[in-house]
Amino acid sequence: MPREVVSTGNQLAAKAAIDAGCKFFGGYPITPSSEVAHEMSKLLPKVGGVFIQMEDEIGGIAVALGASMSGVKSMTNTSGPGISLKSEQIGLAFMAEIPLVITNVMRGGPSTGLPTRPQQGDILQAQAPTHGDYQSITLCAGSLDECYTEVVRAFNLAERFMTPVFVLLDETLGHMVGKAVLPDLEEVQKNIVNRRVYEGDPLTYEPYRVGADEPAILNPFFKGYRYHITGLHHGPTGFPTEDAKLSQELIDRLFNKILAHKDEIESYEEYMLDDADIMIIAYGSVSLAAKEAIKQLRDEGIKVGLFRPITLWPSPEEKIDELCNKFDKILVTEMNKGQYFKEIQRASGKKAHEFETLFKANGRPISPAEIKAKIKEMV
Amino acid sequence: MRKQLRFTGVGGQGVLLAGEILARAYVRAGKYGVQVGTYTSQVRGGPTKVDIILDDEPILYPYAVDGEIDFMLSVADKSYQLFKDGVKEGGIIVYEPNLVYPSEDDKARWKMFPIEVITIAKEKVGNVITQSVVALAIATRMNNLDKDLVYETMIQTVPPKAVEVNKKAFELGYQEAEEVLAKYS
Repeated sequence: MPREVVSTGNQLAAKAAIDAGCKFFGGYPITPSSEVAHEMSKLLPKVGGVFIQMEDEIGGIAVALGASMSGVKSMTNTSGPGISLKSEQIGLAFMAEIPLVITNVMRGGPSTGLPTRPQQGDILQAQAPTHGDYQSITLCAGSLDECYTEVVRAFNLAERFMTPVFVLLDETLGHMVGKAVLPDLEEVQKNIVNRRVYEGDPLTYEPYRVGADEPAILNPFFKGYRYHITGLHHGPTGFPTEDAKLSQELIDRLFNKILAHKDEIESYEEYMLDDADIMIIAYGSVSLAAKEAIKQLRDEGIKVGLFRPITLWPSPEEKIDELCNKFDKILVTEMNKGQYFKEIQRASGKKAHEFETLFKANGRPISPAEIKAKIKEMV
Repeated sequence: MRKQLRFTGVGGQGVLLAGEILARAYVRAGKYGVQVGTYTSQVRGGPTKVDIILDDEPILYPYAVDGEIDFMLSVADKSYQLFKDGVKEGGIIVYEPNLVYPSEDDKARWKMFPIEVITIAKEKVGNVITQSVVALAIATRMNNLDKDLVYETMIQTVPPKAVEVNKKAFELGYQEAEEVLAKYS
């Protein structure tokens, strides 16, 4: 049976992690994400898990990666400045193919920015949080319900694709209290994905010898399967290599293992678009304001709908292309200077001047009234 | 029908709890309630507001709409001055008269009720932390919300060891609101 709860988004993210099988949390408190850690510190011991508050953000992700390497579903949590600090270790996770869920409850940036206020300033950071070439998976919750469902999905994707997965919340969603309807627990547990394990002869085990679009098969450490794990370019055994062909194949595979399976990752919502004359594109908490505005505008006879990407990276580029070339009037609204707008232009092939935009980067939410006013200018 | 409430104070006064209890009460009754706070990065002393929306219908955008707020309770002048214009014409404002100083114009524009929220908590209940529940009781009375529902939800929400003191806080707050309504209406 679906479960009705009253909760904050941050608490729901923690609850989701537990339900998804997370047994380890390493992190460091930072506003506005700290309640995820608080909640994990309460919940993890009850399920036989381990919670560690480390000395800093870097230590927080380092222990979480270590736990993951030993086969445990693992999580770290932070806000934008914490991602900046963790970025080197995030690179190791991409390169060595270590599954990890990283929740980022976004606040105003750059630098220490506006700690207590919402912003969507970390969209491009989530796409490219560290140096080098790799493909990010980034999910973005747009409601309290999704603070739960997207974290569950992140754990499953991390295990399936052996990669760090980002879940973006923002201060509004993280801190608001309201009703959420969560999927049936048995249903959640029935669909849990666990990483593949090699069960053959340990002497012939080569964790990175997999298909060109498949993730590595990393057995848990300390179980008799020896292999090397490194941030250097590596061959099938995990030992470093500078072989040109192996290097290219490795980096290609980090992309292909995700892009060849985009259908398993892609997620978006089309809201009242069927009969709409105007399309809004928004995600995260801004989509709540957009839906409220749409409801009010429709009461006035103005037909507006919403396209909301839930998986931001890799982007639902075909859908963006299709919709942006179907609608003449499009409003893109984000709590930043237009970070996803760049992707919308790229995916649709349309120029910036063919869109209307409503961007705000002062730590204040975009209100339904602001969206309505903008739409009325477009009618 | 939608009700929009706003509690304002300064950081550290702990007004978040009252809003959460109201939201929980509405959900318990099969309706919808949302609470969202806005605060500053100052640990103490920065202006804070807590918006609460209560509705029979699902609530999407969680913040109250300035100009449409039905009820505001304020326990700090800094935040009173900053947020008062969000209250609709003729809306209700409860203020702590020892800490908030409304003008004569304000008194003409809104229904203003002075209640010594902090003094009640500190001296009559005996614990300043209970001001959140005193405020909750006042908001319940002033907005004609279901008293039993809010009271029961409060008991379920506060920590077990704080139930008795908060019961007292609720009763005193509710009673004070009754008295002030009788006196000023």
